[in-house]
Amino acid sequence: MTFDAALWPYLLVVLAGFLPTEVWRSLAVVFARRFDEDSEALIFVRGVATALLAAVVARLVLIPPGELEAVPLAVRVGAVVAGFLVYLGARRSVLLGILFGEAVIIAGAWYFG
Amino acid sequence: MPVSESSPDPQANAEPPVHALGWFWRGVIAGTTSVQGLVLFASMVGFGGLCRDIGFPLGAAMLSTLLVWALPAQVLVVGGYAAGSAAAVIALAVGLSSIRMFPMTAAIMPYLRGRSTSIAAQFLAAHFVAVTAWIEGMRRLPGMAAETRLPFFFGLGTLLIFSATLATLIGFFLAGTLPRSLAIGLLFLTPLSFLIQLAHNARDLVDRLALAFGLVLAPLFAEFGGRLDLLWTGLVGGAAAWVVHRFMKKRKEKGGA
Repeated sequence: MTFDAALWPYLLVVLAGFLPTEVWRSLAVVFARRFDEDSEALIFVRGVATALLAAVVARLVLIPPGELEAVPLAVRVGAVVAGFLVYLGARRSVLLGILFGEAVIIAGAWYFG
Repeated sequence: MPVSESSPDPQANAEPPVHALGWFWRGVIAGTTSVQGLVLFASMVGFGGLCRDIGFPLGAAMLSTLLVWALPAQVLVVGGYAAGSAAAVIALAVGLSSIRMFPMTAAIMPYLRGRSTSIAAQFLAAHFVAVTAWIEGMRRLPGMAAETRLPFFFGLGTLLIFSATLATLIGFFLAGTLPRSLAIGLLFLTPLSFLIQLAHNARDLVDRLALAFGLVLAPLFAEFGGRLDLLWTGLVGGAAAWVVHRFMKKRKEKGGA
């Protein structure tokens, strides 16, 4: 039982992480020849994928795992919003947006933590 | 064929031939100087910290960076492990979140696939496709001579994937020793960098709407959607974005005609 429990995270990585991700990459290789990037079905699928990833972001901010919970919700949301606004304001600089958002959350964690 | 369309490159014949290993190393160097690569490194440090925080073993965390090579999918696996979700539920969520690998891979393969490229080399190249390698690849590959692209992309992907695995290791150990506020900052890198990179990658109205709908719907479905809340958010948010996109397109076609 202890052996199984120790092995479980590795199995989870392969079965629930690697396989369901790699299958899309592999399918894309097979279908790439007749792939039309502007087909409506693919735009729909891209929309679903993007909304799902946005949900992952929202979930990590609103219901955070681990120690992030120690920072108040308003600060977590504020840090994301501030980082995003700086990203937009700084000519869409990913790095500046992330650095600013990080500065806010670290300051918040230092103050409230 | 898209391959022959993209190959007319005025410099292709002018440049002296450099063997494949030379282009592999150029790809490695391109990876070390990439801003997206730096963000990925820091995000993976954050992921390593998240794993430590959740109680996910280091070996499995590093394996997930090497094999899964998609940060949101990795976060879903680790988050699902922490929540005690069934493996099938996690696999379904990962499968849906990784659907984006399909269009990304399909879009970049025409640049990487030469006439004599083996299918094994194509599958290996496809494995390197993730947000960071894709952004750098799509930016640099089209301007390069056809035969230099695959070794260059292998170099870029190898550098990114191994530095990210190293970052996972570093993050795992830093999470225990850093001041608490910095450790929390690392945990926060994943959602923060993800949101900004998603916005940065958004090409059309569909992407922006889906991003906005996903952010707004997620708390609702987290409250009422049960264990499949992420999937519901994706399906409803994505469908709504697509419907608006169809409506705008139809109106444009009517007005533009």
